[in-house]
Amino acid sequence: MAFAIQFVIDVLSLGGAYALMALGLVIIYGILRLVNFAYGELIMVAGYTMYLSSGSSLPWLVMAVLAVGMAVLFGILTDYAAFRPVRAKSVTAVLITSFAFSNLLQNAALLFISPRPRNVPLPEIFSQTVSIGGAITPVRNLITIAASIVLLAAVAFLMRKTTLGIAMRAAATNFTMARMLGVPANLIISSAFALSGFLAGVVGILWIGRIGTVVPGIGLEPLLVAFIATVIGGMRSLPGAVVGGFLLALIDTTLNYTLSQDLLKFRDAFTFSLVILILLWRPEGLIKGPASGQRT
Amino acid sequence: MLEITGLSINYGAIRAVRGVSFSVGKGELVSLLGANGAGKSSTIKCIAGALKAAEGSILLEGRDITAANPEQVIRAGLATVPETRDVFPDLTVAENLMLGAYIHRRDQVGNRQNLEKLHTLFPRLAERSSQPAGTLSGGEQQMLVIARALMARPSVLLLDEPSLGLAPAIVERIFEMIETLKKSGLTILLVEQNVNQALSVADRAYVMRLGTIVASGTAEEIRSTSDLSAHYLGG
Amino acid sequence: MKHAYLTALILIAVVAALAVGSQLLGIRLYDRIATNLLISLVLVVGLQTFMGNSGLLSFAHIGFMGLGAYTSAVLTIPAQMKGMALPDLYEFMTVLEVSPLLAMLAAGVVAALVAAVVAYPLMRLSDAAAVITSFALLVVLYTVMNNWSALTNGPRTLFGLPKTTDMPIAAVVAAIVIVIALLFKESRTGKLLRASREDEVAAAALGANIPHLRWRAFILAAFIAGVGGALWGHFITSFAPKAFYLKETFLIITMLVIGGANTVTGAVAGTILVTFAYEGLRGTEGALNATAIGAGQVVGLTEIVLALAMIAVMIVKPGGLFPNREIGHILTRTRRKKEIVS
Repeated sequence: MAFAIQFVIDVLSLGGAYALMALGLVIIYGILRLVNFAYGELIMVAGYTMYLSSGSSLPWLVMAVLAVGMAVLFGILTDYAAFRPVRAKSVTAVLITSFAFSNLLQNAALLFISPRPRNVPLPEIFSQTVSIGGAITPVRNLITIAASIVLLAAVAFLMRKTTLGIAMRAAATNFTMARMLGVPANLIISSAFALSGFLAGVVGILWIGRIGTVVPGIGLEPLLVAFIATVIGGMRSLPGAVVGGFLLALIDTTLNYTLSQDLLKFRDAFTFSLVILILLWRPEGLIKGPASGQRT
Repeated sequence: MLEITGLSINYGAIRAVRGVSFSVGKGELVSLLGANGAGKSSTIKCIAGALKAAEGSILLEGRDITAANPEQVIRAGLATVPETRDVFPDLTVAENLMLGAYIHRRDQVGNRQNLEKLHTLFPRLAERSSQPAGTLSGGEQQMLVIARALMARPSVLLLDEPSLGLAPAIVERIFEMIETLKKSGLTILLVEQNVNQALSVADRAYVMRLGTIVASGTAEEIRSTSDLSAHYLGG
Repeated sequence: MKHAYLTALILIAVVAALAVGSQLLGIRLYDRIATNLLISLVLVVGLQTFMGNSGLLSFAHIGFMGLGAYTSAVLTIPAQMKGMALPDLYEFMTVLEVSPLLAMLAAGVVAALVAAVVAYPLMRLSDAAAVITSFALLVVLYTVMNNWSALTNGPRTLFGLPKTTDMPIAAVVAAIVIVIALLFKESRTGKLLRASREDEVAAAALGANIPHLRWRAFILAAFIAGVGGALWGHFITSFAPKAFYLKETFLIITMLVIGGANTVTGAVAGTILVTFAYEGLRGTEGALNATAIGAGQVVGLTEIVLALAMIAVMIVKPGGLFPNREIGHILTRTRRKKEIVS
């Protein structure tokens, strides 16, 4: 029983984080049909903001808000630096500029901060554990589950009930038509990047909370997770991203429990093989996105 | 009301529209006729701001909207219903209509009144309010895009081939509706291939062929022009 | 077709000029830079065969280079050294010792085989998903190299490769790869692929099985990457999996993109240009580190400048320096124009 509880908590907390990561990537992809390779660096930005503000006497929550704010800011900055100038030219051009921008941010962190890990301030509660039904689990896992439930619900509310969200969904299927109704293209795109940055910021704090330090390459794993989860779930569907995130977490956690120490090192390779199998079966991913959709 | 002068449009290296001039007066229903590839839809898209004009000018109530982008054109009071019948398929009918009123989103009361008015005009849409627009029939989708455009409370409505691909009975109904809209005082530019239907509701008409206007006049004049079918089929 | 010969001739002449030029200068450093450049050339031209023809970005290329380097290492490290270099190597492999040339071919074949197996389902994916999975593939290849200690010595440096690559050999391989890339571009597969890049629907209507065509190009690119990896391994003689990861991926993509991914000429031009820029910047970094202000702290400056250059090129000239036509084509055209004028 305790094992089952442990397993479920692991899957849910990992899956929540994965789902948020994937969601942040798909929000951009859904609207622009463009992949943001600099997405992982938003998590890095959140981490370094925490590190840089750790010297101040600000309460932790303020630091966290600041970190999320910086991630939002850099999200919007990504649009201006890597997307807007080349958006109309070609898909490959944007892939390359966002990849270059990702390298730029990473190396800036390397140059101006340090290649070595830096400690990130975390509240006491992140390192405490509780016992649930005999299973001992870190409190931060429960925080992650709670945070992801709240955020997923908030994103669902935003996309279903607010004018901005409905306009974003409309823009994802037919950008030109949305503009013809008066929905400003730039507002939609900036909102998408801001939302993406917001999700990256929150997930960044939760993610870094597991290790307690930040390095320039911290964004790689979340980026990869978001990539794989979105490919599994379907590149253009928001629910697909969430499903993909939880499914990937289920696969990873199962492998964590079943593989021997020797094989565990190859976990990513096993996960990837499973992804290939899923894609052989469904090249579009599990959930198909909106029916139509041209790029702008 | 709407004044187009010397408009030219390029599609890549091809000049799709060459020096077209026409006008639509207040409260008028003007029809733009022509075969496939005559340049009608390019003209419409250009007026709507979705295509850039290479030359010429577009004036709306005396304001120059030639270089305006789509979101500025609708704010200037010109709504467009494109021929591709672009409903947002995953959004419900109500959400589609709500987006139609995007530029008036602060005026909830006005929107509600407008919506009620449209629901009496299109009772079908009221019934299907919470259904995804993608599940509607072709005729219902056409009604939805027209109703959505009207939610913006435009002073000029551009209708691009509202009869395209619809059954005759439904085409009949759509044209009845267009008459109703005209009677309400709305200025309408109607692009059609269905010449007889279009002329039955239009005050005046222009005929386009290969990117230029080859004939113009009142609906009667155009109807009585013997070489109309030659222009039309030859396009 | 005639201009393709001219292109081959010019590009090979460029390779020869680099080789001879660096020898004439007679400075060891320049020899090293020139050899590195020629090896990069092999990798970048290899990437061009996939990316230039299919129009898809691939991030996995450097991973296949790594496969090639490790394959060749296992095959060529002298038997008596293997106990030290690869203590956990499988028994039957410890006696293997083949000639470096054979090992280089084997490196290409292994990389191509792995590519053939893993890439088959990926080539059916739409553009963005294909790029994403190629990125994931790079990470997986890296994970495997980093952890399969028996074959790679894990994350630790593997040493003991015989130093068999010198500048002339690198130049010869680079020239051969350039010819292969040009031949592939003009082959039926290459032409259909390029047609699919412009218009997927039309190419499919012509009967082109696009995933299959992409797959062939991907295998060829992986083969060349494997050969390039072996070539590099026998030049540097010791390396760790770190050498086949994001930094290097960024570098070869920068080279190809700045030069122009659609042409072999672009691949060659980009490699030369970026190598010079890179060496110049590294030198500056080193000089800064030697001063009191830098004090060994300046890292990443080169990458920052290259990233900015890449974004700038994408904005100003999204197709790179040679976006459409090979050098031979450009020259014959201008000559024809001159003839018409006169």
